[in-house]
Amino acid sequence: MSGRYDPELEDMLRDPELLRLAAILSSAHTPEPPLDDAFKSGLRRELMQKAWGATERRGSWWRRLAAPPRVAWVGAAALVALIALVVVQTQGTGGNGEVVVGSPQSGGTAVQLQQPILVSFNQPMDHQSTEQAIQIVPATSVEFRWSGDTTLFVQPTSGNLAPNTQYQVTIGPGALTKGGKRLTSPKEFTFVTQPTTPSPGGGPSPTPSGGSVLTGQHRLAVAPGADYSPQWSADSTTLYFVNAAGALQSVPVAGGQPHTLVPDGVSNPALSSGGDRIAYIRAGRLQVLSLSGGQTISVAGGDSATALVWVKNRLFWAGPSGVFATGPGGPGGGVGPVKLASSPDPSGSFVSIAPDGAHAAFRSGGAILLVDVATGATTRLGLAAGSGNFQGWSPDGTRIMHDGVIADMNGQTLARLPAGDPSWSLSGQIIVGTDSSLIEVNSDGSGRQQLATGSAFKQPAWAPDSSTFVFVRGGFLWVAGAPGGSQPQPSAIDQAAAVVAAFMQARLDGNIEKARSFLDDNGKATYAGSGPALIPRGDAGFRRYYILSSEVDPTSPNTVRFVVRLIFGRGGPIERTLSEETLILKRASANDPFLIDRVIVGPVRDLGRGPVVVAVRITPSRVEVTFDSDLRPATIAGVVLQDGQGSPVGGSVSYSDRTVIFSGLQLAAGAPYRLVVLPTVQDVGNRNVISEYDLDLVGPGADTQSQVIIATPSPSPNAGG
Amino acid sequence: MTDPTRDEEKRLVEHAKRDPREFGALYDRHFQQIYRFVYSRVREQTAAEDVTSEVFMKALKAMPRYQDTGRPFAAWLYQIAVNAIADRYRTLRPAQPLEDFHDLSVAGPAIEEQAAQRDEVRRIWAIVEELPSQQRTALVLKFQEDMKIEDIALAMGKTPGAVKLLIHRGVSRLRDEAGVLRPLD
Repeated sequence: MSGRYDPELEDMLRDPELLRLAAILSSAHTPEPPLDDAFKSGLRRELMQKAWGATERRGSWWRRLAAPPRVAWVGAAALVALIALVVVQTQGTGGNGEVVVGSPQSGGTAVQLQQPILVSFNQPMDHQSTEQAIQIVPATSVEFRWSGDTTLFVQPTSGNLAPNTQYQVTIGPGALTKGGKRLTSPKEFTFVTQPTTPSPGGGPSPTPSGGSVLTGQHRLAVAPGADYSPQWSADSTTLYFVNAAGALQSVPVAGGQPHTLVPDGVSNPALSSGGDRIAYIRAGRLQVLSLSGGQTISVAGGDSATALVWVKNRLFWAGPSGVFATGPGGPGGGVGPVKLASSPDPSGSFVSIAPDGAHAAFRSGGAILLVDVATGATTRLGLAAGSGNFQGWSPDGTRIMHDGVIADMNGQTLARLPAGDPSWSLSGQIIVGTDSSLIEVNSDGSGRQQLATGSAFKQPAWAPDSSTFVFVRGGFLWVAGAPGGSQPQPSAIDQAAAVVAAFMQARLDGNIEKARSFLDDNGKATYAGSGPALIPRGDAGFRRYYILSSEVDPTSPNTVRFVVRLIFGRGGPIERTLSEETLILKRASANDPFLIDRVIVGPVRDLGRGPVVVAVRITPSRVEVTFDSDLRPATIAGVVLQDGQGSPVGGSVSYSDRTVIFSGLQLAAGAPYRLVVLPTVQDVGNRNVISEYDLDLVGPGADTQSQVIIATPSPSPNAGG
Repeated sequence: MTDPTRDEEKRLVEHAKRDPREFGALYDRHFQQIYRFVYSRVREQTAAEDVTSEVFMKALKAMPRYQDTGRPFAAWLYQIAVNAIADRYRTLRPAQPLEDFHDLSVAGPAIEEQAAQRDEVRRIWAIVEELPSQQRTALVLKFQEDMKIEDIALAMGKTPGAVKLLIHRGVSRLRDEAGVLRPLD
């Protein structure tokens, strides 16, 4: 074994024994680590978005250049030009002066739509012959623009690239170099574009690849203690907290210096729901400070309290002997405390009282007991050894978070939480601060989204407005908002889309058991019989899929219909055929998961041999049908929308940017319609639709103007471009 | 004589300083080595992704303030990475067994010999992981990332002399703790 010679080491170590060790260290090679290409391209995209955002804020030249569509194109062109530079450099010069052609989009599987196709050459090219030698499938009208003689932007005249489409770009041998040399052979590359728009509501929540998606994040100039979560004022503008020295302080959420309310010895702060008083323990005494008047009163019977909460105007506390509350007038209201429940175990202690005062959490023998304050009945939570970690309540007091789960008041586990400190907002979102990230989940445990990563995020607490929250990080209080503030529960279509995505991914992965797990009995029977193959095998070459349309049944909110297109190819990068499956998903109630109940299979169709519908969007008054190719406008009469009797629906038809638009419609909710694309429809390359294409639709409900059917993304392992 | 690779890098850096949208080329150029370095330190893919994200995000943000000191641009990225890892793992240590990572080039010796050498390498690297943080970082940058002393100094925010001392102390400590070594061919 011999290490490589390194004069620096020779000079530094000298001793033969040390040099031998250095040789051993150098002889180890570092294997390539596991790398998710989607992460790499996703991070690049994120960086570029930030870069563009920064440039836009600076008001740079391109922002002033022209109208938005033009700007988008120019911007993308600049970006891909840079990439092309790298591409060509990495290609080298080619042997014997051979012309080398490249594109940063080559092989991409989710290329963004708002950009030109970029072709780069390793030597100067003759513009005219090169432009004439370029062929694009599907047929696309383009304009050419050169950057020097080695970089060519091929811009679709209709604006963007078509969604969900594999492009095949060929540079034929007719292309000449500046010196008159021809290409030795046609050069071809392919890429697949991303869907037209994200699904309504976003579908399954994306998980950022590190960094932060928090909004309005800022640090407050205060250092809180580690024991108690900060308290929000009712108007979400002020935070109350106990600092590391035990002082009770307040600070404006917008920033500023903290104001000391009580100088020391404070524990268990609890702000009244009206925000006018704050209760706390000091020197073993339960005290209440009036924030408006500044007076402090001691609450009789409150000594040694271990848990406090305000329920409307009443102050509840728990001490060694049980749970107590002031009278309806609150502390100082003239009515003495009332004992509501006794301690279930003299050796244990209460740790918290629910926001509605109906239950209390009691720690006993390493476990958490849920105490019904009205009856004194107890329920043991978490049977596993080592459990007993109380984590919080739902705002209405009907759920408890403990030991990483959400449970109801019977102790029944309803959902799991990421390990960490949780906080439950009034709108039903839960944020969890962990040792390395800040995570948001829905209150049913679904929709996990990583908001930020980094060192520990502790003691998060939602503001009453459910749009901002506070957390402790690095010894300071931080205030931030989740993207979009409080987020609604995912819609039925989002939930069903997540099932379809998981089902299709399992099929792509060849995981038959997992795929079957998304089927109900009817669905299993369909795929087990003479219907479609659950896992397309043999030479089928199942490459990818995308969702062509999705809609909730207007007459049944628990039935959702998806049309999924499966794309196949055999050998080489070219996609050859497609087939469609209409999946009917059902669930018994809104609380149940969707399962695939019925499957309707369409015929197999060839790709690359004429225009293909790649996205459909429908509202009650408008239907948009997007093709992969530019069409000859004179032929769009072959795109027809029929009602259930096969008659054309009324309204007007227009064509723009690969999209046929039916407008002025009055589609009836729940009624059947059919989109028909006849073989008379022709692309700009004079190729006809290969055979009649039919897509069955259902009239959307009137309250869903913008989102009933929309092409939705198919997850791609490699986001490109 | 000028180094064309270095000239090209300088050009890309200047472009990115003027226009952050041109940072993509630097990302393409350096992603793999930074990700590999980070992964080798954190041994967990998600954590490696998070730290790598942080490194490039910080680099993009700080790009206008970047000063070319004549050292490779990567040294600056390593500096951000070293700090990010230190910040993230100030109290934590990588969980994955170290034996899984460092391997040995196997050209030449017979299979039994290769196995013995591999064991030796793993044993030494395992000791490296027990070294004080600064020594460990210096050794990793030197022997794993094959960096020059001056670049390591930049990455670690130290003088070249201090880096040499760290490496010397680290290797000396390896000698003390490794016991008897197999002779090298």
